[in-house]
Amino acid sequence: MVFSDLFFLFVFLPAFIILYRIGGRADLRRSLDPLHPSHTWRNATLVVFSLLFYAWGEPVYVLLMMVTVLLNYLSALWMVRSVSTRKIALIAGLVMNLLILGSFKYLGFFARTLNSLGLEVPVPEISLPIGISFYIFQSVSYLVDVYRSEAPAQRRYADLLLYISMFPQLIAGPIVRYDTIAREINSRHATPDDVYDGAFRFLIGLGKKVILANQFSEISDRFLADGLDSLSTGGAWVGIVAFTFQIYFDFSGYSDMAIGIGRCLGFHFKENFNHPYCCDTITDFWRRWHMSLGSFFRDYVYIPLGGNRRRQWFNILVVWFLTGMWHGASWNFIIWGLYFGLIIMVEKFTIIPRKHKIPRPLLHLYSLLIVVLGWGIFYFEDMGALARFFRAIFGGADHPTDFTVEGALFDNFWLWITAILFCMPVRGWVSSIPERLMPRQKWITGNITLLSRLVVAAVILVISVALLIGATNNAFLYTRF
Amino acid sequence: MKRANIFLVLIGGLFLAFAIIFLLFPRPEFSELERRELKQFPEFSFSRLIDGSFTADVSSWFSDSQPFRDDFMTLSMAIKKGMALKRGTGDDQFVFHQTGDIGADMVPGGAEDEGPDDTAAADSDRDIPQGDISAADGEESKMSKSGILIVGSGDKVRALMNFGGSPSSGNAYASMVNAYNDALGPGVKVYSMVAPIAMEFYCPEEARKRPGLYKSQLPTIRHIYSSLSPGVHAVNVYSALSEHAHEDIYLRTDHHWAPLGAYYAAREFARVAGVHVPELSEFDENVIRRFVGSMYGYSKDISVKNAPEDFTYYTPRDKSYTSTFTVINVDKDFRMTGESKPFKSSFFKKFKDGSGNAYLTFMGSDFLIVKVETGVGNGRRLAILKDSYGNAIPGYLFGSFEEVHVLDFRYFPHNIVEYCRRNGITDFLFVNNIFNACSSGVASKAKALLTRKGSSFVAPAPKPETPAPEPAVEPQQADAPEEPAVSVRDDDGDGEKVSAESDSLPF
Repeated sequence: MVFSDLFFLFVFLPAFIILYRIGGRADLRRSLDPLHPSHTWRNATLVVFSLLFYAWGEPVYVLLMMVTVLLNYLSALWMVRSVSTRKIALIAGLVMNLLILGSFKYLGFFARTLNSLGLEVPVPEISLPIGISFYIFQSVSYLVDVYRSEAPAQRRYADLLLYISMFPQLIAGPIVRYDTIAREINSRHATPDDVYDGAFRFLIGLGKKVILANQFSEISDRFLADGLDSLSTGGAWVGIVAFTFQIYFDFSGYSDMAIGIGRCLGFHFKENFNHPYCCDTITDFWRRWHMSLGSFFRDYVYIPLGGNRRRQWFNILVVWFLTGMWHGASWNFIIWGLYFGLIIMVEKFTIIPRKHKIPRPLLHLYSLLIVVLGWGIFYFEDMGALARFFRAIFGGADHPTDFTVEGALFDNFWLWITAILFCMPVRGWVSSIPERLMPRQKWITGNITLLSRLVVAAVILVISVALLIGATNNAFLYTRF
Repeated sequence: MKRANIFLVLIGGLFLAFAIIFLLFPRPEFSELERRELKQFPEFSFSRLIDGSFTADVSSWFSDSQPFRDDFMTLSMAIKKGMALKRGTGDDQFVFHQTGDIGADMVPGGAEDEGPDDTAAADSDRDIPQGDISAADGEESKMSKSGILIVGSGDKVRALMNFGGSPSSGNAYASMVNAYNDALGPGVKVYSMVAPIAMEFYCPEEARKRPGLYKSQLPTIRHIYSSLSPGVHAVNVYSALSEHAHEDIYLRTDHHWAPLGAYYAAREFARVAGVHVPELSEFDENVIRRFVGSMYGYSKDISVKNAPEDFTYYTPRDKSYTSTFTVINVDKDFRMTGESKPFKSSFFKKFKDGSGNAYLTFMGSDFLIVKVETGVGNGRRLAILKDSYGNAIPGYLFGSFEEVHVLDFRYFPHNIVEYCRRNGITDFLFVNNIFNACSSGVASKAKALLTRKGSSFVAPAPKPETPAPEPAVEPQQADAPEEPAVSVRDDDGDGEKVSAESDSLPF
């Protein structure tokens, strides 16, 4: 299931809210201390709905996820019970996770690569379990955090299952680290303000996905999905810029929805995006884009390898190779990762030391160009298509432009404008206007905020429902990673 | 009340209202707007549950058959249109909708071959154009996605389907027609009429430049005609239509030609066949106003809906004829399950103003075998094997042949050679639009009718379709006995279930 599915919105979600609230009542009733109620029933509801949520799309692989969680559960217990062999337990657990990820995500890729090198091996046909990259990484985070004693090991399998499978962040992140929410699994509290903020955040995410990302996916597919031979240079640019918007609003919309639902339940996930297209360097871009993945690689790969202190170039290369590979079992993703790794290395010597001397608009322009071309590498898994696309985008097309380019721009004019605006931190800026104008009138500013949020939420909900009916192209991009 | 609670109550209330509507209100089964049946709740089976298709179908059922879906769709189209920047009001505006789901498979892989660029077909006095076509097969087959082009603005909007076929993709069709010529023998004259679609005449200059978007249909038609064996008479409707392109020969909002276009085509056929067709002024003119056809649903562009047109059709004046209908029953997968007893019914059905089914004026359906007896007494009996383009032709020929038989190649359950022999057919006309003429699936389906043994019906479904009366049709002739009316599935249009027949278009 995905968040932007009418079935999710109007069947799954209402059923979950009702049962979760009933669970809350039950928890309160059986608690001795009303200030610290147990979470037994609420967590049970959450786990059952999370499994249903996953099984809706992966009726068989849900068992794989449950077994993965069980093995992680056992490795962590082993670490805690036998201090002398805890390193072995960690390694065993990590190897097991990577084996699962490797066999379900990369086996076919390895086999194809070997075949292309001349080694005849059978290519297994394994379909990719949705969200496996996310839940395996969360499992790794769990094992490492327990090993480093940054968080306690879970005594109950169900609680670990809750952390891994929690439906808000299950299939497309953010990669919630175990130490972030370990405490909240059995001790959390959602105030009405949390629910207010969370629900609003969820609707903002829905709007980003349905109103912006889905429309941009139509534009990018129109130019890039096929017919690359007749792609004009203008078409290549419009298509890939549309994809640039699509992937940002798709993924950050999903993160908003995940963070919003989490907030309503009393979980505090970390932010995953910070206006990445406002970056001034590529180094800066990666501090703002998919932050949970970046910090995962920093804390669990880069620093353990030695970080800045030892073999820094090698470490950077490894991290970016893995970042690329995490996105998919295909060479274009690896190239894409290494492309960014290389640019970041070069930036360390060139731009970063002189950053304050270069005009900022120039920096933005440079970064956006690198990012947009990066999405070109990212989009095409087929190397032939990739080459054709880059030939077209750099002027090697038969036609510089054609009427569909003009159509894509003018027929969606306000869409482009809205997207450009929302790539910038306008939301924070606009919402702070009343307070800046009337810093003392808390009552008035609060009501203005409420009124504007009401209007925005209602408009997003109605428009999204209308656009979702008859929508054909609605899957989130990041669920396939 | 706290602000948080006000927000939650109001937005929660709106959410709840949607949930109640979507969960409790009756779900539509048919979309007027898109002219298609909506998804139904899937049948459960364990294997479908395991492979995930059951849950996927539940999700798509839920969002497809949403209560008030057409209203939401209209809103959604208005929103999408609102994103455009208004520029001028010239007639040369156009929007290109790419719709991969329409006829994606309609043109089988053929060679990419443009042939020599055309100067109108100058072969009108030869039945079969020859010699001016180079149809060498290229290396690679390329085709742009099928799409819909919207041209013009205001009430002049015209929606055009894209043609991407190559000349050699008509090979199977030509050889099928040749096989008919051989099988029917020297006693039956065979004619082939391949109708171009509107894109040929109404694609704006600027859009023609877009590579892969516009492809002239003439090289394909020429190639087909040049591949016909000498005994087959090619009916050059291309020139007949292009001479009148400034008239309303194609519907602006529908994928069919207009009855006027069909008239020029019928007149050209009559010329080739050596029979007389009266002037248009000798027919009665009838108009269905405010017609919006299938292109609205296909393009999902609201400007098509906002540009309704008059559907003008012509009926013979002062002619007596009787038409006998045999209804072919089909199941939900459009497999033929049986046929009705022949009954008398009117050839022209009457639709109200504003009806989206105006093209069904001709016979009301494609699931039919229709025999028209005219009492002309010239000894010539015509059979037309057609797709829905052909439906508009026979009405002009009731003074030209003593019998006209209208057969649909998709829904003809018998052996066609035997049918022609039994009915004493002397003239056999193929009417197909270019899409079907470029489909090897269509060709093999039609070819199969030559060798069919007995009647070909699948076992009827356990729950046979209950025939329902045609809602919008009022029989004109009082002498019609009770009509085991046209299949209920056809209230859509002439079997326009794209998905049902992957290889033949909704024509």
